[in-house]
Parts: sequence; structure tokens; C-alpha cells
Amino acid sequence: MSVAFVDREFLDIMTRKKIVLEPIANESTRKATYKKRKKGLLKKVSELSTLCGINACALIYSPYDPQPEIWPPSHGAVRRVLTKFREMPAMERSKKMLNHEGFLTQRIAKANEQLRKLRKDNREKEMIHVMYQCLTAKDLLLNLNLVDLNDLGWVIDNTVKEIDRRVETLTTNVEPRQMLVARFEGAPVDDHFPMNRQPWYMNHAMPAQPGQDAGPILPDVNADNDGNMVQNFYR
Amino acid sequence: MAKKSSMGRQKIAIAKIPKKNHLQVTFSKRRSGLFKKASELCTLCGVEVAIIVFSPAGKPFSFGHHEVDTVIDRFLTRRPKPAESVPACQILEAHRNNNIRELNFVLAHLLNQVEFERKNGEELERFRIANEKGVWWELPIERLGTGELEQLKLAMEELRRNVVEQSSMLAGDHRSGMELFGTVDHVHGSIQFQDCEDVLETKPLDHVNGGISSSSAPAFSNYLNFRRDDGIF
Repeated sequence: MSVAFVDREFLDIMTRKKIVLEPIANESTRKATYKKRKKGLLKKVSELSTLCGINACALIYSPYDPQPEIWPPSHGAVRRVLTKFREMPAMERSKKMLNHEGFLTQRIAKANEQLRKLRKDNREKEMIHVMYQCLTAKDLLLNLNLVDLNDLGWVIDNTVKEIDRRVETLTTNVEPRQMLVARFEGAPVDDHFPMNRQPWYMNHAMPAQPGQDAGPILPDVNADNDGNMVQNFYR
Repeated sequence: MAKKSSMGRQKIAIAKIPKKNHLQVTFSKRRSGLFKKASELCTLCGVEVAIIVFSPAGKPFSFGHHEVDTVIDRFLTRRPKPAESVPACQILEAHRNNNIRELNFVLAHLLNQVEFERKNGEELERFRIANEKGVWWELPIERLGTGELEQLKLAMEELRRNVVEQSSMLAGDHRSGMELFGTVDHVHGSIQFQDCEDVLETKPLDHVNGGISSSSAPAFSNYLNFRRDDGIF
């Protein structure tokens, strides 16, 4: 067989390790691998057939034997499955028929899709972090390029949407004051609000925009009797 | 949201699966795994293979190296393998095998990157959870009270204004920089940011070099020291 073999490190092939998908150069390793994997493959076909109650067959031609390795173990049984296969209309057969190249191309497409999605999700996570960082350090914006800024803007908009949704839920269901109490009873305050933690807006010196208020103004409902706002959240 | 990990390896009795859903899922997964194993066997040991399975619904699925029909014919006609003698066939086969090796190479590279991104995601998740313990506004929205939500929203809006301002500056003209990426609603005077995904999609995916070409890579990633290259090749 005219296949170009590449030298592969002779390692203990019997251990579970990430395998390099290249033709095995070493003759005896190749034969040993073949024996082991062939056995495993036929076992898997058998299991699939039994577990799902379906017809199946496998043919393996190796340079080590003119006779093919088969499953089911009888020629007759294999022929029956093949006949059933060939009896199907050509369209049906070829719809899910894969040669090696086709199979790999399909897997590549799936992996690409996976990668794209993961990258998108990770990018979103990163930008959310940047967004939170920017709340306390406005200068960070200067390090971002246009791509970053666009993504940041998108993430901000998303967060605002979430906030709006949440506010909607809170105000249409329960009295805000009751909600406040409910939250305290549920929240593990000590873990999240250590006593030395200052509310962020105290450190935050964002210059007021012309025509805008200098800081957040809260409705009375969340203030205590003295009109103190967020300080009450901290113990 | 963190991805829920699967149940892991469970020992299963080799008998027909009673539940139809379970059966269908098992079929899909195992069929896929079976073809994968066959593909590996062919590549590693240089053998010819054909596998045919029928789905629970009776649809035929098949995998063959090099071709399903070739191997089936070989079996049915009991023909011993010819072709060793014909040089043209040898060249053709060598060519195909080369092709397959290249595809395997590309696939392995991609799978490495997928693994890298997955680990990346997990680390980002851990990072996020760690940060939640620090300041209240990094908590999930559901855990915030009305007052806090209002504050946060105002802060967000302020930040958004700054982002727009900064973009305009970078874009270098009096128009909003966001027109480059987003759409401007002149009636309401608002700017719609383009979905991250759309921006990333502007450049075609370069399969061999693994994803997005570096010229459009974001600048800031160095913040978190997450490297964009996977350091594999």
C-alpha cells in the first residue's frame, strides 16, 4: 500500500493518551493498534445494534488478512444487511452516506461552529468584566479600540435591558418596601457586604455632564427616615 | 450561566433501551462515535472500512474508507484487492490519503482551539464569581433591590454616554463613531450598537490559521491576560 508513513514516537500505545492522527510508522505498533482497535470497533457496532435494536454491519479489510473482519460474525448475516441497504432507493442511501473526506469535513464544520459560539460567549463575559471595571475607573475607556467600544456598548445595552426587565417584575408584583425586606432576609449579607466596603458612588467622581444631575437621585421609597439611601444596605 | 456538566460515564446493560427518547439519543451519539473510531482506525492503520447502520426510524447511515460502495462491492463480489499493480491507482490513493491527513490536521487544530476556549470560559466564570463577592453591583441582576437597580442603571447610562463619546473621538470626525458599527436612529437620536457577533463575523473565518484574522483582534484582551493565541502551532 503506497501510503507515506511519518515517524511517530514509540510510546506505550496501550495507555489512554491523546493520539496523533497520522499513519503509524512502526510496523509492529501499527499491527498491534490495528488488532486492538478493530476489536473495539466491532464491539461498538454490536453494542449499538443491541442497545437500539437496529440492523447494522461492519467490514474491515486489512493488509494482514485477505479475508475481511466482519460483524455480524456470519457472512450470511452481513449479506442480508447489505442487501437491505442496497434495496433502498439511491437517494436514501446517499443522503447519509459519508466517505472519509466527507466525514472529516462535517466534523470540521461542527467544530468551527462550536468555536465560534464559545468565542462569542467568552467575549461577552470579558466585556461584562470590562464594563464593571469602567464603572469605577473611567480612564479604562481610553485603552479600548473601536471594536472593543462597540462590544462594550452592546453589553451595556443588554445589561440595561436586564435591569429594566427586573424592575418591571419587581414593581408590578410586590410593594417595593416589602421587596426590600424580603431581599434582606434572603441575602447572605455578611459575605457580600463587609463592613469596610464603601458604596461605589462615594469613590466615584464622575464629572457631571452639562445639563445632567451630578449623581443618582433615588425615590423616597428606598430611603430611611433620614433620607439616607444606600448606606442602609451596608452593615 | 455555567454549563452543567454531564453525568459522566455510566455503566449500561447491553440490552435494548426501553425508553424511546433515550434510545434515539443513544443512537445518535453512538453512531457518531462509531464513525469517529472507524475514521481513526483507517488513518492510523491504513485499512479499508465500511459501516452501515439503520436508524430506529429505518434510515440508512453509512461510513466508508475510501468509499462505502467500493468496500461493499469488494465483499459481495469476493474480489481480492486488485490495483496494487496500477500506478495510476496508487497515485490517486496516495493523493486521497494526503487529503485526509490534511483534514485530520485541520480538525485537530480546531479541536485544540475549542478546548482552549472552553477552559477560557471556565476561568472567566470563576473570575466572575470571585468578583461577585467584592462589590454589590457585580451581583446578578436578580439579587439587587429596586434602589440599587436604579443606581446601576444610571451608572450604565452614564458609561454608555462615555463610550459613545470615546468612539466619536477615535473615529476622528464629528459624526458618531458608532455609525461605523451600529445604526443611528436620527429620529430619536439614539445609537444601536451592533451585536458583538456581527462585528466578529465581519472577517471570514480562516480555517487553517484558526479563526479570526488578527487584524480585527480586540486591543483590550491584554487586560485580563487572556492570550488570544492558543500556542499550539
